[in-house]
Amino acid sequence: MPMIEVQNVTKRYRDRVALDAVTFTVEKGEILGFLGPNGAGKSTMMKILTGFLPPTEGSAKVAGFDVFERPLEAKRNIGYLPETPPLYPEMTVRGYLKFVGRLKGVPRAKLKGEVERVASLTGTADVLDRLILALSKGFKQRVGLSQALLGSPPLLILDEPTEGLDPRQRADVLQLIKGLAGQHTVILSTHILPEVKATCQRVLIIHRGKPVAHDDLAKLADPSRETGLEETFIRLTAA
Amino acid sequence: MRNTLAIARKELTLYFTTPWAYLVFTAMAFISSFFFIAMLSTFKQVQEMARIYTWDRMPGDYAAYKNLTDGVAVQLWGVVLIVTLFVAPFLSMRLFAEEKRHKTFELLMTAPVRPIEIVLGKYLGGLAVISATLGLTIVYPIILTVFGGSESGSALEWSTVALGYGGLLLWGATCIAIGMFISSLTESQMLAAFLTFAVLLPWMLIKGLAQSADEPFRSIATYVSFDAQLQDMLKGVLDLKALVFFTSIILLSILFTHRAVEAQRWT
Ligand SMILES: Nc1ncnc2c1ncn2[C@@H]1O[C@H](COP(=O)(O)OP(=O)(O)OP(=O)(O)O)[C@@H](O)[C@H]1O
Ligand SMILES: [Mg+2]
Repeated sequence: MPMIEVQNVTKRYRDRVALDAVTFTVEKGEILGFLGPNGAGKSTMMKILTGFLPPTEGSAKVAGFDVFERPLEAKRNIGYLPETPPLYPEMTVRGYLKFVGRLKGVPRAKLKGEVERVASLTGTADVLDRLILALSKGFKQRVGLSQALLGSPPLLILDEPTEGLDPRQRADVLQLIKGLAGQHTVILSTHILPEVKATCQRVLIIHRGKPVAHDDLAKLADPSRETGLEETFIRLTAA
Repeated sequence: MRNTLAIARKELTLYFTTPWAYLVFTAMAFISSFFFIAMLSTFKQVQEMARIYTWDRMPGDYAAYKNLTDGVAVQLWGVVLIVTLFVAPFLSMRLFAEEKRHKTFELLMTAPVRPIEIVLGKYLGGLAVISATLGLTIVYPIILTVFGGSESGSALEWSTVALGYGGLLLWGATCIAIGMFISSLTESQMLAAFLTFAVLLPWMLIKGLAQSADEPFRSIATYVSFDAQLQDMLKGVLDLKALVFFTSIILLSILFTHRAVEAQRWT
């Protein structure tokens, strides 16, 4: 059974078509780079997969559960980092992560350990007792990522996870995501193509709400050439 | 249940890390103590007068001043009721509007939690702060009991005071429920507070405004007005009709909030 099954999903915001009959599947353990120009519909697709937005037409399944018919079961399998990290500025990082952990059903006895585990993965262990509003943008992003990792959900949906990070942090986060391969399925959107080359085996490119490529990275870009993926991306998203 | 409690707990944490709860507590304490002192001194003056002229020769509307319960406690509850109307919108405004502004609404809606659990958790958090706000005013009857004396033993008739207080809690719970619903409709906390106030105040005053209106509007207005429904409760009369009235408003507000939360995603 694939981890994600998207069937004919169309999403219209009033008269604007954000997604146009999109169909694709993602197998367990894949790390999928989700690409597309600004406004292509990446964030919209992720909001549908996580059950935040209902599709206008079509259906989406996560871990075999229809996101809108069996929302709780589907959501239990997902860790989600939205475009804007969903943070409460007045809370401490620890308080915030504990709250999200409770919502995700992390058992009370394991909560403290789980918070510390994700904090050390994302390099936020030193700021656990700081107020979120006092953190820099990059640290806020990392707290958002920590939240998605809580409870080790089988599927991670990350909308521009490296946005706002410094080069070193970027490398760390990508390394972290790479380390999740195998046990976890990851779908990550980004505009930085070298990141895709460094972490993903599979790539899905959408343009104006329609998939224009979905294939192994090696097939979309000649690995011997540095700019292969960029060229493919620009060619497919021209028009 | 666990999710509801987790959300209620988060709401409480946020109430006490932002200045709003403290501002509301201060306003309640300040205004109610001001009126308490004023009422006590009026009470004393009337009692002095009564000692000189005897109660029989006093005007009829001074009869309430024969004891502390009617002369001070019941009247004080009337003041607390009005203060609640003014402060509750500042407590309820953030419940949903803030989540939408901070994009944390997306976190709640994508967590494995039912929308009704979110609504109930938030309502529970709101109830807790409004109860804490009203809880401050319990000191006044206690002061009266400790320092007040009366010929008939206890200075206060506690059953009257407690029923009035129950009415206040019911009223506070109603304000928060209506405010929560309005908060679920907007991203702006200030707008939510303003609209809540704009709903509560006329609803409270509608009885007075409708006195010159024609029937049947007058009877309907009198029936639905908060003021008329609360009157008996505050005086310590157990009023089942009012209990049903306010409970229905609370349940409907929760239901509407749930609807609004679900519908949010359909845009
Ligand atoms: N709430 C909304 N109401 C109306 N239109 C919207 C809304 N959200 C997104 N859109 C439109 O839907 C289309 C897809 O937007 P989306 O945010 O999914 O793009 P994206 O691929 O994530 O872009 P970016 O790379 O800039 O993040 C855009 O044309 C956008 O204007
Ligand atoms: Mg986006």
